[in-house]
Amino acid sequence: MTSLLLWISNARWMVYIRDSSFGMPALQSVHLVGLTMLLATMLVLNLRLAGLTMMDWSLPSLERQLRPWALGAIAMVIASGIIMFLGNPAKYLASYPFLFKMTALSLAILFQVRVLRRLPVAEAGSRPRRTDVVVAALALTLWFAVGWAGRAIAFV
Amino acid sequence: MSLLGWCQWLEQTPLATAISESVWLFPLIEGTHIMALPLSVGLMVMFDLRLLGLAFKNGSTARLMGDVVRWSKLGFAVMFTTGGLLFMTQAGKAYGNAFFRAKLIFLVMLGLNALVYHAIFYSRMAEWDASGQTPLGARLCGALSLVVWIGVIICGRTMAYQF
Repeated sequence: MTSLLLWISNARWMVYIRDSSFGMPALQSVHLVGLTMLLATMLVLNLRLAGLTMMDWSLPSLERQLRPWALGAIAMVIASGIIMFLGNPAKYLASYPFLFKMTALSLAILFQVRVLRRLPVAEAGSRPRRTDVVVAALALTLWFAVGWAGRAIAFV
Repeated sequence: MSLLGWCQWLEQTPLATAISESVWLFPLIEGTHIMALPLSVGLMVMFDLRLLGLAFKNGSTARLMGDVVRWSKLGFAVMFTTGGLLFMTQAGKAYGNAFFRAKLIFLVMLGLNALVYHAIFYSRMAEWDASGQTPLGARLCGALSLVVWIGVIICGRTMAYQF
């Protein structure tokens, strides 16, 4: 496993991406555009769950509208993220913010999928129950923890 | 005082030096700037997708705009505050940076685009909701906004590599 990671990180295409002047900014830009879209879809969905916006949409229909954009955005962040990771695996595996980020990301996805499974309960215009507000706040806390941890990789 | 001189003066103000010299203030402000992207740019892009007919098609455009703008206003307030503070700490370097200049030009374009949308299309949104047809001009405003916002993100991220 270690030798495979080392081999990839030294492959010619990887060195080219990592060491060229535009490779990393380009990857980071894709990562940030994806982050913007992904977290925006999660904001809209969870703010709706908490009854704070988009009240003329039912949760299931809102989720259908957002799903392709959320999936496209998560593909962007994961693809660009994997390439960045492979460029310097030793640095990331030794970074606590990175390990925290991966944990928070797994939890956020699991939690959000659990939330989506309960969606048919809420119809357009229906008022949120207290548990809906708590669930939305937890989901958004997890999603934004992923983002903050990502930023912390560069500073810690 | 020249514009460059003003930028260099800005960098030396007590607020700017306090931010640069603090271990945690700069990362905190920069992190907040990035974490406000979904709430500001992300929500505006959602509305652009509606104008382009790519999402939220069977809902009211006018109501969607109200829902989106109410929250993105908060996002943009955070964006401009943190962005202004970040600029202060590195104003001299930012002044000559091509990506920073492009970012500012893009932001001016987005402001003008929003003004045009407001002046020409804002009051007529209820009509399109009834007809189900978004006028070509409004769709162009949405396309411009979507593309230029992505440009702002690319420029913002790339300029940091040159400091």
